[in-house]
Amino acid sequence: MKFRREPGSRRYFVDHLVGATLAVSYLIILVKTARAIGYARDEGFYFRAASSYAAWFEHLFRDPAGAMQRATVEMYWSNNHEHPGLVKSLFGLSWNYLFKRWHLFADEGTSYRFGGMCFAAAGLWLVYVWGARARSRAVGLVAALLFAAMPRVFYHAHLDCFDVPIAVMWTLCAYCYWRSLENLGLGWAVTTGVMFGLALDTKLNAWFLPPALVLHALLARGGFIWRGLKRGQLRVPPALIGMAAIGPLVCFALWPWIWFDTVDRVKGYAQFHLNHDYYNMVFLGETYWRPPMPRAYVWVMTAATVPAVTLLLFFIGAASRLRAMLALVSSRMAARVKDYDPRGTDLLWAIGLSVQYAPWVFSTNIPIFGGTKHWFTAYPFLCLFAGVGFEWIAERVRSLIEGGVLARLPARAIDVALGAAVLAAPLAETAHAHPWGLSNYTPLVGGASGGATLGLNRQFWGFTTGAVTDWLNQHVSPGQAVYIHDTAGESWDMLHRDGRLLPNIGAAWSIPGSAFALYQHEEHMETIEYQIWAAYGTSSPVHIGAYDGVPIIYVYAKPGQMIR
Amino acid sequence: MTDGPALAREHSLPQRAGRARYLALLVPLFGLVELVAHFYFAQRAPKSEEWTAARPLIASWYKAGAVVVIAPYWAEPMARLAFGDELMPMRDVARPDVTRYPEALEISILGRRAPELEGWKVGREERKGKFTLRALENPSPINVTYDFTDHVGPSTAAVRIEKRSTPVDCAFNPSATLESGGLGGTPVYPSARFQCPGEAAHVFVGVTIIDDEKSHPRRCIWSHPPGNDAELVTRFRDVPLGSKIHGHAGLGWLIERDRTVPPFTITVLVAEHEVGRVVHLPGDFWKPFEFSLAGAALRPTADVEFRVSAAGGGTHVCFEADSR
Repeated sequence: MKFRREPGSRRYFVDHLVGATLAVSYLIILVKTARAIGYARDEGFYFRAASSYAAWFEHLFRDPAGAMQRATVEMYWSNNHEHPGLVKSLFGLSWNYLFKRWHLFADEGTSYRFGGMCFAAAGLWLVYVWGARARSRAVGLVAALLFAAMPRVFYHAHLDCFDVPIAVMWTLCAYCYWRSLENLGLGWAVTTGVMFGLALDTKLNAWFLPPALVLHALLARGGFIWRGLKRGQLRVPPALIGMAAIGPLVCFALWPWIWFDTVDRVKGYAQFHLNHDYYNMVFLGETYWRPPMPRAYVWVMTAATVPAVTLLLFFIGAASRLRAMLALVSSRMAARVKDYDPRGTDLLWAIGLSVQYAPWVFSTNIPIFGGTKHWFTAYPFLCLFAGVGFEWIAERVRSLIEGGVLARLPARAIDVALGAAVLAAPLAETAHAHPWGLSNYTPLVGGASGGATLGLNRQFWGFTTGAVTDWLNQHVSPGQAVYIHDTAGESWDMLHRDGRLLPNIGAAWSIPGSAFALYQHEEHMETIEYQIWAAYGTSSPVHIGAYDGVPIIYVYAKPGQMIR
Repeated sequence: MTDGPALAREHSLPQRAGRARYLALLVPLFGLVELVAHFYFAQRAPKSEEWTAARPLIASWYKAGAVVVIAPYWAEPMARLAFGDELMPMRDVARPDVTRYPEALEISILGRRAPELEGWKVGREERKGKFTLRALENPSPINVTYDFTDHVGPSTAAVRIEKRSTPVDCAFNPSATLESGGLGGTPVYPSARFQCPGEAAHVFVGVTIIDDEKSHPRRCIWSHPPGNDAELVTRFRDVPLGSKIHGHAGLGWLIERDRTVPPFTITVLVAEHEVGRVVHLPGDFWKPFEFSLAGAALRPTADVEFRVSAAGGGTHVCFEADSR
């Protein structure tokens, strides 16, 4: 896509305008579609934590000195202290102000989720701007849209969880570092440090930022740094110093839990994740619950869940950039100077992508229970390369058309047609995946039914209860209790608070005490379904929430119970 | 700052000759093919209403004593919803294996076949919409003379614990408290079960369902011995005998998968004579056994005992058996 070159400031303004438009559009879509998705287990835990943190902020505004006291901090912040506080604080503040005070949301659950959605929307803005600045607006636009149109990303983008926020914060920190390489002034260096602190306060994936960016600095500027050292000068990119100096302070300042017993609590946080339980995850028909984890998992799951055309564009983009880099290395000095990219953009994107996959490539001890969300942080970079791939293809298609009957068409029309051709499938798959999200598989493996046949996971976190609330409202009589299986109590409660479940439908915590029972299918949980059979005396469900013919959540009724 | 257009200079296109120039068109084409494939696969498996619509046809093919098998296995819940207990009773759905059935009705979608019916002879086949129906005959049909799991009740069985030759009778309670262990816990303790006085709640004999190593359901007789080499003995009276005792034993994949459970032993006696012994080691999971009755089969009926024991504090045991 060719755009008239504009003066720098105007061009950047337009870039941000486009980025903001993408972000707001995506945010609106996310908000409008959130209600259809039931609440995941972890969301339920974060509702509670976010409410607690929001109450602390209330306390802080009312009594700043009192709020800083150890007992007060621990009262509000001990909840879910195994994860940092930034994102949960935003969930809580969103709920407190946008729902409780200003009544901007009809659904309480959506008001919590709004904080997470904002990260996802900002992610589109960021990917667009980075692609536009590094390559072209076409690259940025296609990259951002491909990121938005990843079915798994779209699902997680709705949640009050950390996976999309950390993917965005990771990319944002890398972007700030990249901007800092334009000049060695303090502005972007300080910004990078602040963003690193925010990323640290988002999720543990931020720990990978320093090694990734140091590696980039060494590879992209190793000679420069080495020559400096020989002269007694420290030529480390200032952004790295900013990260080291500012990042931990920002994280500390925004996470009151670690204000006291800091060393022990930070150590406890690290230990929790370094020694995390291995939850169950099925892969190709086998359930993994302890190491060694399958090495093929990340590759197969990426191929099975990211639209194939996105992957194809990524490979084309990455290959074209690799080819360009190799050509640069072998070219004469004059050409090197002309095309030299002092920021090592391709390298940074490649590192940004690779470092997310590296744990599963180099170790079979890394848990896989979270499925693709573990390496979401790679996807912005994957999409940026895919955007490059699109541009590479578009240029070649345009050159084909030159001199032909279609030559009269404006170049932009050709680009739009090409864009539509490559975006149609990802958009259709993403729209179709809603609200099932985790049950979706791409046509490369035969869709959802192909995934089931291959023995891939159909869901986790018990969120699909949201798909059967209408049935429950119609058929469960007042006072009857439903065994809610993998759905967290807080998540079930939120369905009530949102009005999605009638108030007189209670939750049962055991099968024998229930009149109805839910079963969210996961291979290792089949024993729960069989307990329902044995308790109810039937193996025939009365309702199934299915996605493309694949059974996802089953409802059983105890024989003899009145079903409306 | 180096902006996009400057960095994109290396994209200046070499003039490419020949057909290779057209390869670029494959990418948008690939995108459109993926779009078409997406819609195809989204519609490929039958939806709930299609399963329901197929029920009359399935019912017209169904014969009492046959088992309905769904291929692929993951689609079975859709069939259970549409066909109900009449065509797919829990006893068949949680079958020990298919050897006991003379016939099977295979409902196939997506071109899949049921591995457990491999080698069965197709007697009839019909395609109807997204379904393929096959009536299959067991190549080695057997006659089950007695299914022990169907006879766990006071009129046909008696249960006792034997500790150093001192028997303690376990009484049948038709309305004991129903209990379920949840994820990682024990299977359901049915309300109708033999309860043993002075023992923990899990020391009982009753019919429940466990998961095998493929997470498939297996209906079986829970028989948790009290430990310390005491035996939990279930005696079935006047069992019509065949030529062998065929069965399986396990304790549930989720419980056994760490292989930290103790081994257990089931000794089978027919007319007071031991005909075989099952030693279940950690990791055996849903393990088959078969004992010839030889001389005992000369009798038309006899009492059959299953004596279950384990060292230490005992362990979960669930077995099923038939005489055939």
